[in-house]
Amino acid sequence: MKAAEVPGFLGAQRQAFRDGFSDIAQGLQRLSMAFFFAWGDTKARYRRSVLGPFWMVLSTAVSVAGLGFLWSMLLKDDPIKLVPSLTVGLVVWQFISGCILEAPTVFSRNAHFIRNIKIPFFIFPMQLVMRQLINFGHNAVVVLVVVIYFAPTLHLNQLLVIPGLLLVLGNLCWIIVLIAMLGSRFRDFEQIIGAVMPLMFFLSPVIYRPSQLSFGQQIVWLNPFSYFITLIRDPISGNVPPIFVYQVAIVALLVGTVFTVYQFGKQRKNISFWV
Amino acid sequence: MAHIHFDNVTVKYPIYNGAAKSLKKTLVDVGTGGFLSKDPGEVLTITALDKVSFELSEGDSLGLIGHNGAGKTTLLRTMAGIYTPISGAVRTEGKISTIIELGAGLDSELSGYENIFRLGLLLGMSKSHVQSLIPSIEDFTELGNFLEAPVRTYSSGMLMRLMFAVSTSNQPEILLVDEMFGTGDKGFQEKAQARMESIISSAKIFVFASHSEDLIKRFCNRVFELKHGSIREVT
Repeated sequence: MKAAEVPGFLGAQRQAFRDGFSDIAQGLQRLSMAFFFAWGDTKARYRRSVLGPFWMVLSTAVSVAGLGFLWSMLLKDDPIKLVPSLTVGLVVWQFISGCILEAPTVFSRNAHFIRNIKIPFFIFPMQLVMRQLINFGHNAVVVLVVVIYFAPTLHLNQLLVIPGLLLVLGNLCWIIVLIAMLGSRFRDFEQIIGAVMPLMFFLSPVIYRPSQLSFGQQIVWLNPFSYFITLIRDPISGNVPPIFVYQVAIVALLVGTVFTVYQFGKQRKNISFWV
Repeated sequence: MAHIHFDNVTVKYPIYNGAAKSLKKTLVDVGTGGFLSKDPGEVLTITALDKVSFELSEGDSLGLIGHNGAGKTTLLRTMAGIYTPISGAVRTEGKISTIIELGAGLDSELSGYENIFRLGLLLGMSKSHVQSLIPSIEDFTELGNFLEAPVRTYSSGMLMRLMFAVSTSNQPEILLVDEMFGTGDKGFQEKAQARMESIISSAKIFVFASHSEDLIKRFCNRVFELKHGSIREVT
């Protein structure tokens, strides 16, 4: 009896992996469409404003100037050290939190697509990441200006920002898909995320650097966002991130992706009923 | 080539009430064995299609009739592969275009032209292909300068023109249209009819849900009546 059930169970698992993978593969084939949509979203959002997406750049610049001034006094830190690190931290944080905050509603906001056109669902998380990347690209102007003004050094280590960014993107992809599925099934998940993220801002090394903490440095590394910020910020300031940061990020990417692909394949057919 | 085969297809879908949609409530239920919560989230299951079997092949244009909630839209969505049946098998061959909800896939802030690209890409066309179709879409919709205006300024008839023009210019082998097709004015209906006839005559499948017997008579050579998720062919 039991022996007969085992192959069926394994077969169902394999099927779930296959379904999840095929959706993601079909989604990736239409990457350019996701980009076109993300670009359209950005255009639509700033359609009736003069500065367009540069409103966002302006607001980032203002908060960097204000917070840099305030926190360099409060933390009694040298602005030359603090402001570049704060700028990168803020811009990276805006990118990550933008992705996470919108993730729960990514399927329900696109319900009119999901219910009317047969389409790989992975397009919508991709579209979210692309849109946030477009914002990130605009904000990078502020980072560039600040880095050139405060610390105009070129260093080979700065190239590490590329693998860092890729690792963050990969991890964000599975996290967004997972949150999106939970968010489309449980409507209060959005509120939960919305309540947790502001707290995470202060628990993450955005304003400070992990090395500045006199105690509790280990606690910082329990927070997944610390890894994401470090992977991008350390290379920009010309440092190599600690090796364990890479190890954790790679393991999380592998384990998270496998788990998410499985869940995605299993729940995919229910998503059109949930939204 | 175009072909739709339904074999004993049953589609059920869950309707979650407020409590069942709440993660907090669900967790409290799990944590306390359902003792604490007053209104345990009930999940209603609706059987929208019940053991439906039929076959459509080239040249069939099918009209779906039935009272509200009989399962017409669910049947269209199942044909399109949007809903997955819990039992039975759906086999379709051919490129599918759907017009199920008015305005689906459109961004109301973007212009008509930008939305033509959106819809075209959604249907799996390439950008250059959409570009090459623009003149014929301009011609078919007769929207003129309105195509430069944001779609939020369009009336439902204009939306219908835009969606119908894009969805059919893809030369679909299977075209699935829900009832809101009636929103167009007389001129549009005549144009749409001509285009539909060309689709049907080029040996493709057309499925159309409507309450209008008149339209069904005009377009369809087969009629299914849906009742509580079962179908019956009317001749």
